[in-house]
Amino acid sequence: MRTWPFLAAIGLAVCAGAAPVPSVLTAKCGICHSDKTKASDFVVSDLAAIRKGGKKHGAAVVGGHPEKSPLLLMIKGELTPRMPLGGELTAEEVASVESWIKGLPEDKAVAKSDWRWPYEKPVKPPVPPLARNPVDSFILAKLNAANLKPAPPAAKRTLARRVYFDLIGLPPSPSELDAFLSDNSDAAYEKLIDKLLADPRYGERWGRHWLDLVRYGETSGLEGDGAIGNAWRYRDWVVGAFNQDLPYDRFVLKQLAGGDEHSRTRNNYAPDVQGHVPLGFLRLAPWDRSNLVADEVRQNYLSEITSTTASVFLGLTLGCARCHDHKYDPIPQKDFYRFQAFFNAIQVENVEVPYKDEELKRRAEAKIKELQALLKDGPDRKALDKMEADLLPRFRAGRRSTAATRPLNIEDLRLEMRRKDSTTFTPAERLRHAELKEDADRTLDAEEKKALDNYEAPLLARLKESTDIDKRFDVLTVEELRGELARSTSRIFNAEERERHKELSERIDTLRRRLGRWQPSALTVKNVSGPPNGPFIAPTHVLTRGDYRQPAEPVEAGFLTAIAGKPEPAVIEQDRYRQFPTRGWRLTLAKWIANKDNPLTARVMVNRIWQHHFGTGIVATPSDFGVNGERPTHPELLDWLSHAFIESGWSVKAMHRLIMTSSTYCQSAENGAADADNRLYSRFPRRRLQAEEIRDGILYLSNRLNPERGGPSVFPPLPADLADFARYGRGGALMWETNENEADMRRRSIYTFQRRSMPLPMMAAFDAPVFSESCDRRSATTTPLQALSLMNGNLVQEESQHLAALLAKEAGPERPAQIRAAFQRILHRAPTPEETDRFSSFPGTLDALCRVLLNSNEFLFVE
Amino acid sequence: MPNHSRRDFLNTSWLGLGGLALQNMLAADAPLALKPAHIPARAKRCIFLFMEGGVSQMELFENKPALVKLAGRQMPKAEGTIGEIATFSAAPNRVIPPVAPLRQHGQSGRWITTLMPNLAKQVDDLAFIHGIKVDNNNHGPAVYHTLTGNQFPGSASIGAWVTYGLGTENQDLPGFVVLGDPRGATIGGNGVWGNGFLPAAYQGTIFRNGNTPIVDLHRPESLTAKQQRDELDLLKWMNEKHMGERTHTSELDARIAAYELAFRMQSKAPELVDVTSETEATRKMYGLDDPMSEAFGRQCLLARRMVERGVRYVLALHGAGGDRWDDHGDVAGRIPKHCREVDKPVAGLLQDLKSRGLLDETLVVWASEMGRTPFDNNLVTDKPGRDHNQYGLCVWMAGGGVKAGATFGETDELSVRAAGEPIPVRDVHATLLRLLGLDQERLTYLHAGRYKKLTDIGGRVIREIIA
Repeated sequence: MRTWPFLAAIGLAVCAGAAPVPSVLTAKCGICHSDKTKASDFVVSDLAAIRKGGKKHGAAVVGGHPEKSPLLLMIKGELTPRMPLGGELTAEEVASVESWIKGLPEDKAVAKSDWRWPYEKPVKPPVPPLARNPVDSFILAKLNAANLKPAPPAAKRTLARRVYFDLIGLPPSPSELDAFLSDNSDAAYEKLIDKLLADPRYGERWGRHWLDLVRYGETSGLEGDGAIGNAWRYRDWVVGAFNQDLPYDRFVLKQLAGGDEHSRTRNNYAPDVQGHVPLGFLRLAPWDRSNLVADEVRQNYLSEITSTTASVFLGLTLGCARCHDHKYDPIPQKDFYRFQAFFNAIQVENVEVPYKDEELKRRAEAKIKELQALLKDGPDRKALDKMEADLLPRFRAGRRSTAATRPLNIEDLRLEMRRKDSTTFTPAERLRHAELKEDADRTLDAEEKKALDNYEAPLLARLKESTDIDKRFDVLTVEELRGELARSTSRIFNAEERERHKELSERIDTLRRRLGRWQPSALTVKNVSGPPNGPFIAPTHVLTRGDYRQPAEPVEAGFLTAIAGKPEPAVIEQDRYRQFPTRGWRLTLAKWIANKDNPLTARVMVNRIWQHHFGTGIVATPSDFGVNGERPTHPELLDWLSHAFIESGWSVKAMHRLIMTSSTYCQSAENGAADADNRLYSRFPRRRLQAEEIRDGILYLSNRLNPERGGPSVFPPLPADLADFARYGRGGALMWETNENEADMRRRSIYTFQRRSMPLPMMAAFDAPVFSESCDRRSATTTPLQALSLMNGNLVQEESQHLAALLAKEAGPERPAQIRAAFQRILHRAPTPEETDRFSSFPGTLDALCRVLLNSNEFLFVE
Repeated sequence: MPNHSRRDFLNTSWLGLGGLALQNMLAADAPLALKPAHIPARAKRCIFLFMEGGVSQMELFENKPALVKLAGRQMPKAEGTIGEIATFSAAPNRVIPPVAPLRQHGQSGRWITTLMPNLAKQVDDLAFIHGIKVDNNNHGPAVYHTLTGNQFPGSASIGAWVTYGLGTENQDLPGFVVLGDPRGATIGGNGVWGNGFLPAAYQGTIFRNGNTPIVDLHRPESLTAKQQRDELDLLKWMNEKHMGERTHTSELDARIAAYELAFRMQSKAPELVDVTSETEATRKMYGLDDPMSEAFGRQCLLARRMVERGVRYVLALHGAGGDRWDDHGDVAGRIPKHCREVDKPVAGLLQDLKSRGLLDETLVVWASEMGRTPFDNNLVTDKPGRDHNQYGLCVWMAGGGVKAGATFGETDELSVRAAGEPIPVRDVHATLLRLLGLDQERLTYLHAGRYKKLTDIGGRVIREIIA
């Protein structure tokens, strides 16, 4: 921040908590522009209000630029009306305001054109000398400039804990830690990193970061919050992609252009159906039919994927340009719709994608067979069938006896009409009636109902004369029986019977859902068929104020002007034989994004990787590289890293290696009191464990984490009395299921079913994201609810017992040995003599001691 | 916060909890620390009564003689009356009159249904807004829109915004409490009281019926209070030692304080939900003596006990499962039932707040996610019902800063939509914030490149209902 040497001379009106404002403004303008009077909505009481400006001109000052500041122009009379109205400021007063504005820090929000960095291709900067790892050279250069020294290297065991949580989201086991500590070779640390990068649990940790970003959820989030399809296929693909170190450019390409590629050789080429799994990216947002006008739902969908694609891959807030030109970044509204046009051939529809992985395929096939058998004649099915078979005669009899107490009515007629062996009505009459009834039921239209009424009226008279209508109740079906059982007011069945039937039906329903989750369908989108069989792709229009009802000028698909330089239409990469005109649109966009020439793609991803290693990105707003975002603390480093990323073949794992072998990463978390916000990295930033690390870590420590990978999501139990509150949704649909196997509830948290309306309370308390919007940074709050969860919640209560049993087995019956083992396992260090004393004299059980350690800051923070 | 007021607060904190812990939780960077209002305001707290399912405005609060006149007849197709209304299940058809008459009450001469005789007595305290429009005609999105300002999930709820803006006065209890209908979950679930893009500290905490109002509140049965206190003492010792060896410790410090607060919450929260200490007269006033109104009566009584203890924002939900205000059929049977469930509780709440001098500092809001149609949508049985109507929402407010007896907006003669300009829901939100001393334009949070606000593009503060 610049100093303001002239301020003393002109006097200041200082408001509590606000930046100083020249007193001349409050004195001469405040009469009309005070907090109370607010003429033209403009207030001069503090800098924030002045920056915000009034109704007419918006921001009244542009920091550092008096010539662009309406406030100055108006008091000078260069902008009318001259202010103050009917008066004039002296030349000195004008000059004081002018120099005040000049001295104001640049206002990011209005310096639109000056922030070009994101749109310019990074030039590989020379590495400043000094250190062995280039990362350190950049970091040290800034530290030196600020007269700071980096922290000393972290202790080896601290480093091990850091690296384990960082790469696999779990702590090291005692034997793993020992192996690392006893390896005194120079390469021990590098070997550890390589080992963890090759560990399949790495994908479960880093895949989770990606799922945050792509608003991964498994239900619609809207009406009824029903499941939207087998999203888990996408989740498993992401985990696998990280584990295989799928080059990032291909990772991007697949998520945008799956099922959209061409063959350069073949006519009638069919794209790889497997491509539809990663394409789930375009289908993960909350979305359903929702009783809105169809056009509106479609436009909402297109807007969402347009915005999210830009924020996830390009770190740009393109979504802000849906309704108007971007207020801060050089993104005209037209660009939003040009970008959206690439998605115009999308049809929202899930696709059957056979399992490719042999192991998974076997598992799925076995599961499907088993579930089909259970649905066909498993114990629940048999019990339900038997119950229904038993109840059906009673249902019919019940209806018969009710009917006996009243005159015959239209319902009796309709039953008799369904009798195949009716002697009262001819087959032709029955057929005609069935047709009319169906039309009336289907449409509910008055005309159709009237036709039915007209047809029925004379027949009812005949029914009343007939003597052979007693068998009419035999046509009542099992479906109608179920309807009766679902009625809380049923006079035929008691509450117990209804409850039992509901429970059995629910079990069958659960089996059916399980079966559905194993079917090889993927949550995804595809292309519309297009010409020659179908219509042309609809043109895209700019929508005035983003309103689907107000189409303005038509636009063609094109890249962002700020990057491409010119607002020209993109050349769509079509197939050689022009067989498939709806293909290649997404591909064209994807290739432009997943491209070494795109100035943002590599930088944005490298910044995200950095962020997960250091808690904060070099750009602290990882999905907003624009004017409103934070400026990079080390732009040269970011540019250098993005070059390194591309040169490595877009290898994410290579980037981990590069960053993690830096002294910057390996330094201690302690380095004195300076550099409070640590934006210069003078120490390793201490961070609280994330929700998943806490839950998975505790289960891992008690040796109870179920290591099974992949497959349909599981349902860890809800806290007991929340379960009743939350179990049923609208219409009594089951919202939270029980697991097939007990061990399923102890899978890693990434495998928890993500119902948008129901996050697990413990996870939500520890800042797990809501799964509805892209989450680029998790907060790390501190609340009493977190403490309650870890003090009293099932997880810690149960696992501390298992952990204690494990430790007792391992360390024998002596308390000091147990304490030692507990510290080693949970905190990865030996207890101090003082701690041994204090813990030994503690009156509680070993469980209690484990609980204390699991609740300790030393466990809950990584440093 | 200036120092003197913090000290005042320490002295007046109902727990008298002092010392370091509180200092930490109140530190400027603690998420729930008290924050000054943007604008001076009388209301310090808010009780939001949410009637889920879509309340029939013409059954409860809007007297429309035309409905009686046209009863059973085809809906007139007058220009501007039906317009673009997107009904849920059937096209406009036979008009149905209200199931019970409305009568005028109080000085203000407000019309109110005879099915709510108790609320009728409080009617002079209420200010009504009619003809509010929500963006979607189905429950899920409409609930989100009414309670978070956005019809899609993922945005911050009103309660989250308010606690973000003002912090909370009582650090021993959550700042934002949700009192669910014990019969079941709400459409939209956690999203309607979620923190959205705001930090998790601002999410609503569900208080459930029974002895464990907050998830994981109680120590397990296997532990005595002393045992848990011993554990916590040992934990504190560990944590303080750990912190003593480190620099930049504000988050470590805050977590130590959080455990102490959690421990206190364990005793304070059950006390809070224990309504046996209330007098018989009070319990009766809230309808706890009637099985029909007992459940919501309890929610309303708890709401009062909470605002009394400084909880910033209470969301009380009424309607669950088949018992929502979603009266597609059998209005004649259902409307009287809903009304009886809430009449005494709501009236009792207003009366009780008033007699305790709390109403002046508490904003009470009644809302639903939509209104309903004047015509039948139940073509299958002979028990008519009303369809969804996204243009017909009616909201009332009472208490701190509200102009008692005022009315703003009006629906057309059949109560289909606003007779004049429709009132967007964001105007109601802007007004609610304003009444709590928050300026919608200043209550912002940078997310995904935008300074997000509850009212999105900005609503108009309805000054007509502000005193």
